[in-house]
Amino acid sequence: MSNNILDINSRNYNFKSFKLNTLLVMKKISFFMTAMLFAVTACTLDKTDYEDEINTVVTEYIDYEEVVSITKGQYLINIVALNGTFYKGYNEIRLNITNTDTNENVNTSDVTFLPLITNYSGNSTSCPHQYNLDYNTADDYYLGYTVFTEESNDSQNWELYITFTDNEETHSVTQAITVEEQTNMNLNMTSFTADDGEQYFIALVAPQKPAIAENELVAGIYKYNQPTNEAGTFPDPTQFSYTEVTDYTLLLDPRMPEPSMGNHSSLNNVDLTQQDDGLYYGVVNYTMTGNWTLNFIFQNQFGETIKGTEVSTEFTPGIEGARSELHIDILF
Amino acid sequence: MKRLLIIFTLLISNIFVNAQDTNKKKDSIIALDEVELINVVKKKIETEMKMAVSVDEFLASSDNISFIKRGAYAWEPLLNNMSSERSTITIDGMHVFGACTDKMDPITSYVESNNLAAIDIKSGQEGNMHGATVAGSIDLKRRSTPFSLTKKWKGAYQTGFEINNKQFFNLANASYSSNKFVADGSLAYRKAENYSDGNNDEVNHSQFTKFNASLGLAYKTSELSSLKVEAIYDQANDVGYPALPMDLWLSRALITSATYKQLFENGLFKALDTKIYFNAIEHYMDDTTRPENLVHMDMPGWSTTYGLLSKANIKKNRFSSEIQLNAYNNLSTAEMRMYPQDRSERTMFAYSWPGVTTTFAGLSINNAWEISDQSLLNFGGSLGVNYNHSKYVEFNWIFHPGTPQEKTRILPSLHAGYQLNIDNFNFSVGGGYGHRAPSVSEGYGYYIYNSFDRYDYIGNPDLENEISYEGNASAGYANDKFSLQANVNYFYIENYIIGRILSLGSPMNYQSIGVKGYTSLDYSTLFNFSLNGSYSILDNLHWKGTLTYARGKDENENNLPFIRPLSYQTSLHYQYNKLSFQTSINGDLEQIHYSPEYGEDQTPSYTIWNLSADYTFKIKDYKTVVQVGAENVLNEYYSTYADWGNIPRMGRNIFTSLKFNF
Repeated sequence: MSNNILDINSRNYNFKSFKLNTLLVMKKISFFMTAMLFAVTACTLDKTDYEDEINTVVTEYIDYEEVVSITKGQYLINIVALNGTFYKGYNEIRLNITNTDTNENVNTSDVTFLPLITNYSGNSTSCPHQYNLDYNTADDYYLGYTVFTEESNDSQNWELYITFTDNEETHSVTQAITVEEQTNMNLNMTSFTADDGEQYFIALVAPQKPAIAENELVAGIYKYNQPTNEAGTFPDPTQFSYTEVTDYTLLLDPRMPEPSMGNHSSLNNVDLTQQDDGLYYGVVNYTMTGNWTLNFIFQNQFGETIKGTEVSTEFTPGIEGARSELHIDILF
Repeated sequence: MKRLLIIFTLLISNIFVNAQDTNKKKDSIIALDEVELINVVKKKIETEMKMAVSVDEFLASSDNISFIKRGAYAWEPLLNNMSSERSTITIDGMHVFGACTDKMDPITSYVESNNLAAIDIKSGQEGNMHGATVAGSIDLKRRSTPFSLTKKWKGAYQTGFEINNKQFFNLANASYSSNKFVADGSLAYRKAENYSDGNNDEVNHSQFTKFNASLGLAYKTSELSSLKVEAIYDQANDVGYPALPMDLWLSRALITSATYKQLFENGLFKALDTKIYFNAIEHYMDDTTRPENLVHMDMPGWSTTYGLLSKANIKKNRFSSEIQLNAYNNLSTAEMRMYPQDRSERTMFAYSWPGVTTTFAGLSINNAWEISDQSLLNFGGSLGVNYNHSKYVEFNWIFHPGTPQEKTRILPSLHAGYQLNIDNFNFSVGGGYGHRAPSVSEGYGYYIYNSFDRYDYIGNPDLENEISYEGNASAGYANDKFSLQANVNYFYIENYIIGRILSLGSPMNYQSIGVKGYTSLDYSTLFNFSLNGSYSILDNLHWKGTLTYARGKDENENNLPFIRPLSYQTSLHYQYNKLSFQTSINGDLEQIHYSPEYGEDQTPSYTIWNLSADYTFKIKDYKTVVQVGAENVLNEYYSTYADWGNIPRMGRNIFTSLKFNF
């Protein structure tokens, strides 16, 4: 009310000119409004599409597709994995066996699964894997996993040795496969010999696509079982035995290694402990996108540290963050 | 709470009981004049010293406003020594929210002195008309030409130069008014280079360029009603902030509104004023001019607000009342993108405001009851609902796991004041109670770097409402020659929101030394005192003086930051025909009660002496004023308690300006 914009005294007006004037004004105002709207909608810089931001470096695969199919007599074996590809690191595998004579799924079999890599000198090694596959009755497939430790290349090749039984007869098949590079660093893996002399493997399972948020961090931790007996007929599974490590703890300290981030860390992270499915679960908070290092300290069931070093918590701008001797780098 | 609601209801019913006697008919023109009695503070946009001032300089001339300064541009106004989230700052009642997480763009930076008519400052809960507040309200009133019987063109052009920072400015405004139609327009352009401090050293990154344009069109839809559309466009380019590690590349604001006003000749309601508004602000920081920065970082921010306000004026005999409905919806988003030293690497991105929506709706009532010719009772209240929504709540979950994505708060407010005039003496006493919701940064901010205490700040969505209890009193004496007025107010603020060091988390910004989270203190207290005097020594020689003192303490009796030390200003004004001279001295005493905990160090005292002279004459029929003056005549090197990072203020500055009125 500070500005008395209406002068009530002025009552002598010409109706005609009023009408004309109003029209003119209306025209002006509509022009003004249009100009205004135009200016409003034009933003100088575009906002970041956050949903799309993480996709620029992270590809998330949701669909399980066939990787290979093997024919053995009347049996057809299908192996299914995420995106129809085997990648270095953790792979969940789903296997179907069909009797093409009867067109029935074989579901009472004992299926074994052994991946082997043979190098140029002919030596074979394996990698963490589930040797006896479980049958998933709900979805009708055999379920297992394998953690490929190397990518296929000219000098080393992966082969799968699969056996299964049907009608009390054991069949075995061998299939050459290709293991590709895992470009999603959130599914990286590492292998190392711990202070107890054993060889361990840590492979990230989830999240495939992290967010700037609390992320449930899932990893598989495996151990190579040194063979205690002489090798039998190749491939002798006792020579290539790996097991899930039980009741160990993986202490977590995530940090950004980028020098300008000065060893930045996050908070409310939870160390990884084993859950019923055998995998290790923890929580990692990522405060922004970019390169992160998951620094680990690996403790056995007695709480003894068998690998990993504590990293500095100092804020050191300009200096690349020092990593634990046990770590996995991720990027999102 | 329940009791408060009852009191509130009582207040409302009281108004209507009082207002039921409607048989007397009053002349609406007189009535309208009286409606304006309700607390309208009107000032010409110029200070005593200087006629061509920036909005900031003009605000600084008020007793209860002080400033946090991050450079020569866009000062953050502190009302009653409280930071800007504690006051409601509006333009003609419209809420506008800055788009910068570092408060580089207070609302006052989006207007210009030549599109404003007045600034209405209300202290404490009296300022609840436009929304919930603790410190009070600052309403920037836009220039608005009345309808006139005859067609009239009016205008002014002002130009000037300030030597210290080579600031050159051009301000022009024009209006056309007729019986049916009014148009108001203004244009302003300022360009300044770096200023120099009292040691004649250039303060790097203190330049600015600002362009501002406004347009208002009104037409009379009937004898007693009018429709008006208004817009302000403001653009600032290449603005330096010497106290911050980055500058501004570009900020733009578009502030628009449409107002419908209806007057009533008869009846209880005298005026009804409804406005819908929209404003959009974009703000892009720039650190490429700072090669010393280790990290290049983009920090764009956007703020968009839609709103409605509707005001009714009621007048009945000695009782008048103002009822206002406020509703607005704001979306604030701010991003940070850090670039690694190896630019081929992945950039690092996060939101500093993760898409925060604030929706507010509130009803406010202010009443004035002239009990007698000597005494007046003001009382009122408001009740608001404040709703927040965080689009990417996972950001907030990092520090506050599981905090809800939405939060609704009820914000009540009450105030009452009694004024008494006996002969030449006047007295007043009043009190208030009110809540405010945390600001976007306080509630949802994410690693917002504060270069003052060098901490990264994290908002807390679960903060309690800040609750203020205030008391105020004044006493004064005035006669033809002499006046003296003392004002005090005292705030007891429960759940006082302030940043406290978090032992968790590590900083994200490389300059930062740690992480602070916004938390609530149990309470804090604030005391403000001001003393104003004036004396007419001769008919053409006038003296004025002001003394202010403030004290702020937290629950542990520690000092609060940004509390002004004892400060003074004294000025003399001499008029000789068309020539007038002004001189003033102002300064602060040594800051005794500083707060190292919040990053403050002790600021020494300073005294500044200013001088100016102006001459009014006519070129043809045009009234022309020419002014020459100097600020900080003695070239003192100083910085004030509220200068961010102790950046030195401007040294001696000689200014000239010329104004034509037609």
